Amino acid sequence: MLIVVNGQTHSLAEPHTLAALLRSVAPTPPFAVARNDEFISRGAYQECLLAEGDKIDIVHPAVGG
Amino acid sequence: MADQLTLYGRTFSSRLLLGTARYDSPFVLADAVRAANPAMLTVSLRRQLSGSKDSGQPLWNLLRETSRTILPNTAGCLTASEAVRTACMARELFETSLIKLEVIGDEISLQPDPFGLVEATVELVRLGFEVLHYCTEDWVLCRRLLDAGCEVLMPWAAPIGTGQGPRNATALHELRKRPPEIPLIIDAGIDLPSHACQVMEWGFDGVLLNTAVSRAVDPVRMAGAFAHAIQSGRSAFLAGPMVAQNAAVPSTPEIGRPFASAS
Repeated sequence: MLIVVNGQTHSLAEPHTLAALLRSVAPTPPFAVARNDEFISRGAYQECLLAEGDKIDIVHPAVGG
Repeated sequence: MADQLTLYGRTFSSRLLLGTARYDSPFVLADAVRAANPAMLTVSLRRQLSGSKDSGQPLWNLLRETSRTILPNTAGCLTASEAVRTACMARELFETSLIKLEVIGDEISLQPDPFGLVEATVELVRLGFEVLHYCTEDWVLCRRLLDAGCEVLMPWAAPIGTGQGPRNATALHELRKRPPEIPLIIDAGIDLPSHACQVMEWGFDGVLLNTAVSRAVDPVRMAGAFAHAIQSGRSAFLAGPMVAQNAAVPSTPEIGRPFASAS
């Protein structure tokens, strides 16, 4: 199963939850996540089943005006 | 009683809100924050760049050390739905319901999209956000944002990053008169401390700055200059300036002037 994480393609074994993907990618906290342009709250990572072609955005604190 | 800025029930002794972008280094930013003593720091959220080891941790640590109120933005969003999604991510990431709402309607001038602002605001207020807008000085737009549940308005002085100062002084004056009880913060377009002082003299409640500080030759010194200017403008507003007039009036008493012919 191919998943796009922050614009880069990852190959995963099926089935895969968002929580498992995040354990694999291990982003440095704090971060927030969107799946297919929809915000996924921290509490929903475990139940969020990924599907072929899903687009995952992981964002971190950044400077801003 | 101390003169404080109140935004969504939070009180601040400072009336300066400072952006964290475009500094040459995190160290300069940290020193500028110390010099400016801002009420809030604005931030954003972004993907970690490919190949970069910076996952925002240095900024995150700096934010925690400064203990300032964090104001995440939705910079770069072009639609209401995009801004709402970004706000939801920001709320979880920064653990705050405050959001600086930006919905850009024109990518050249970075002019806010009034329709997108109202649409996003209605949804964000429903979701429990406390919204501060980057908006124009258009009174009808501002009224719609207040009707949607906003308690603060942040009209621009000029487009983001232009440093042109208050471009439409008449409209800003008129806006200040319309909702006298609503905090008004000038957001964007300020170049000089004198601009900031001027809008504070007009009765605005605060100023949000970024580029004017971060791109100054000496950002730390400029941060301090803006802090003083904003405080001076506020004091002048509270003091109540004299009424300007056309006729000249000598300030020194005429009575008793030597060599004057007796009347």
